[in-house]
Amino acid sequence: MSNTWYLYLFFSAALVFAGLLGLLGKRNLIKLFICIEVVGKGVSLLLLSTGFAKGSMLTAQALVITYIVIEVSLVATALALIINIYRTTRSLDIRGLAKLKG
Amino acid sequence: MILQTALLIGLVVFSVLAILLKDLLRSAIALAVSSLLLGIIFFRMGAPYAGVFEISVVAGLITVLFILTIALVHKGDEVRESRLVNWAFPLAFVVFLVIDALVMKGLIGKVPALASGAESGTFGEVLWKGRTLDLVGQIAVILAGVFAVLALFRKRDKHE
Amino acid sequence: MIILFVVLPLIVAGLLPLAGKVSRRVLPDLLANATLLFLLVYAAVAGRALIAGGPVLHQSSWLGEAVGIRLALDGFSLLMLVVVSLVGLAASLFSIDYMEHYGAKGNFYALYLVMVAGMNGLILATDLFAVYVFLEVAAVASYALVAYGLGHDELEAAFKYLMLSVVASAFLVAGIAVVFGMTGSLDFAAVASGLRELNAGPVLGIASALFLLGFGLKAALVPFHAWLPDAHPSAPAPISAVLSGLLIKVSGVYAMTRIFLNVFGLTPALSTVLLWLGAVSMVVAAFLALGQKDMKRMLAYSSISQVGYVVLGIGIGTPLGIAGGLFHLFNHALAKGLLFLTSGSVQQATGTRDLDEMGGLAKRMPVTAVTNLVGALSISGVPPLNGFWSKLLIIVALVQAGHPVFAVVAVLASVLTLWYYLLMQRKAFFGQLNEKWAAVREAPFWMTAATVLLALLCVGIGILFASTVTTWVQPAADILADGIHAVAGSWGF
Repeated sequence: MSNTWYLYLFFSAALVFAGLLGLLGKRNLIKLFICIEVVGKGVSLLLLSTGFAKGSMLTAQALVITYIVIEVSLVATALALIINIYRTTRSLDIRGLAKLKG
Repeated sequence: MILQTALLIGLVVFSVLAILLKDLLRSAIALAVSSLLLGIIFFRMGAPYAGVFEISVVAGLITVLFILTIALVHKGDEVRESRLVNWAFPLAFVVFLVIDALVMKGLIGKVPALASGAESGTFGEVLWKGRTLDLVGQIAVILAGVFAVLALFRKRDKHE
Repeated sequence: MIILFVVLPLIVAGLLPLAGKVSRRVLPDLLANATLLFLLVYAAVAGRALIAGGPVLHQSSWLGEAVGIRLALDGFSLLMLVVVSLVGLAASLFSIDYMEHYGAKGNFYALYLVMVAGMNGLILATDLFAVYVFLEVAAVASYALVAYGLGHDELEAAFKYLMLSVVASAFLVAGIAVVFGMTGSLDFAAVASGLRELNAGPVLGIASALFLLGFGLKAALVPFHAWLPDAHPSAPAPISAVLSGLLIKVSGVYAMTRIFLNVFGLTPALSTVLLWLGAVSMVVAAFLALGQKDMKRMLAYSSISQVGYVVLGIGIGTPLGIAGGLFHLFNHALAKGLLFLTSGSVQQATGTRDLDEMGGLAKRMPVTAVTNLVGALSISGVPPLNGFWSKLLIIVALVQAGHPVFAVVAVLASVLTLWYYLLMQRKAFFGQLNEKWAAVREAPFWMTAATVLLALLCVGIGILFASTVTTWVQPAADILADGIHAVAGSWGF
C-alpha cells in the first residue's frame, strides 16, 4: 500500500474519532446526528482513498456513490424521527430520552 | 500534495467545528463547508463523479434537510451542552491525533496488498454493469427512506 | 430465478401505497401475504431441488449482456431464505388483525416487504459491499417500523437503535475497505483466494475485529446488546417478532458466519473469540432476563441469550457444532417469533405488558396460552420440542470438541432459561384470573392462526427432528464446515 494511503487513513481516522467523541459527549439530538455525518465522511474518505491506492478509482467511486445514497435515506429517516421526538417531548435533549433503560 | 493535505486539514477543522459550535445553523453550515472540501479532495484524487455527488448531495441536499429540520424545531429550545465536553473534546482529540500519527507511521509498509490489475471500462460501465446489484440496493434503500418518512409523518391519532 | 426473492417484494412494496388507496383493508393484506407465501413455497419446495447439484449461481443479463447482479444460493442461504419466509409470513398474517388500529397499513406492509427484500438480498449476495447495502436497506426499514406507533417509547427506542446501528455500519464499511485494500476485490470468491495468497495475519485480525464490532452489534451480542431490550419491546408485536426472530440473525449471525467461515476461514483465534462472545451473551442475558417484569423485555433478553447459543455452536467450528448452531438459529426464529406474536395477542387483549398485572389469562385465551407454552418450552429446550434437539447438538459438540466447561455452562444457562420462562407462563397465564381480565376474549382469527402455525412447526420439527436436520440443516452446515473451499472454487463467476 502506497504511503499516501496512510496519510488519508490518518485523516479518515481523525474524522471517525471526532464523530465518535462527539457522540459520547453531545446532548442535542441534531448535533448527535451531525456527529454521525462526520463519521460518514471519514468512512467515505477511507473507501475512496483505498481505491486510489489500488488504482481502482472507478469501482471506489461506485461504492462511495452508493454509500452516499444510503446516507441520504438514513438522514431523512433520522431527521423524521427527531422531528417526531420534538413534537412529542418538546425537547431535543438526549437526556429527555432516558425512560427506557437498555 | 501540499494542497491536498491543506484541504484535508480544512476538512477535519470544519468537521470539528460542526460538532463543537453551539448554534445549530452554524453547525450545519460548517458541515456543508466540510462536505464541499471533501468533494474537492475527491476531485483532486481523480474521482470526479464521487466529487460531484459529494458536493451536490451531501453539501447540498443533506444540508437542506438539516436546515429544514432546524427550522421546524427551532423554538428557542436550547439544549445546554455539558461544559465538561467543551474542553474535554479538544484535549481528547489532540491526544488521539498524536496516537493516530504514531500508529500510521508504524503501519507504513505493514499492510500486505495484492498487486491490482488495471481497471477496464468507463465509469458508466463499472457502475451500471459492474455494480448493478448495488443499484438495486439503492432503489430499495430509497424506497425504505420514502416509506419511512411517509410512515413517520402520517396523519392520525397516535397509538399509545 | 432466485432474483425474485429480492425483486418481487420490492415491486409489491412499490405498488402497495396505490393498493392502499384503492382498498383500505383487503388489497394490501392480500398482496403482502400472497407475496410472502409465494416466496415461502418457492424456497421450501423448489429450493432443495435447485441446490441438489451444488450451489446455484445466478448471473443476470440485460439485453444479452452480462450485468453485475451475481447471486448465489447454497445450502446455508437456502436455510436462511426458508426461515425468513416462514417467520415473515407468520408475522405478516398476524399483522392483518394486529396493525388495524395503527393506521396506514399499506405503508406498513410496504416497509415490511422492503425489510424482507433487504434480508433476502443480504442472504443471496456474493460480494462484501452488497452485503452492506442490503443490510442497510433492511435496517432503514426497521428503524421506521420500530417507531411505527409514534409513541414516546417507540420513538426513543428507534432513535437509540438507529444511532448505535449506524455506528456499527460505519465499522463494517471500514472493515470492507481494509479487505478491499488488501485483496483489491470485494467478491467473496476473489477475496477468499486473495487472502489465502496473502497470508495476511495481523491486518486480517484488524479487519475481523471491525467486522466483529459491526456484526456483533447487529446480532446484539453482549457487550453490544444495549439497544435491543429497548427496541424490541417498543416495536409493534409482529415487528418485534421479525426483529428478534430474523433481523438480528440475518444481519448479524448470517453475515458474520458467512464472512468468517467461508471467506476469511475460521482460525483458532476467531473460534475462541466466538466461543467466549457466545457464552457471555448466553449467561449474562439469561440473568438479566430473570428480573424483568415487562413480558416483551424478558423475551428481548432471551433473544440475546439464545443468539449467544447460536454463536457458541458456530464458534466450535466442528461440523456437529455448526449444525447445532444453525438448527438452533432456525428453531429460535420460529419459537421467538411465536412468543412475540403471542405477547402481542396478550398486549392487545389486556393493554399491558406488565407480568405482575396479568394472571390466569389461560382461562380466557386458551389458544394463546397453549401456543405461548409451546414457544417457551421450545426455547428452554424441553423434549420433544425442536429447541431441545438443537441445544443437545450444541452441548454434545462442545463436549466432543474438548470444551467441557462451556458445555456445563450451556446446560446451566438452559436451566436458567427454563426457569424464567416458566415464571412468565405462571404469571401471565396460569394462576388466579385477575378480575380486570374477566371480559377478555381470545385473539382475532389471523393472529391466532399465525401463532398456531408456528407452534405446530415447533412441535412438528421437534418430533421429526432427524429428517429436518438431514434435509435442511446438514446441507447448510456442510457448506460452512467446508470453509473457504465452499466459496473460492465453486462461486467463481
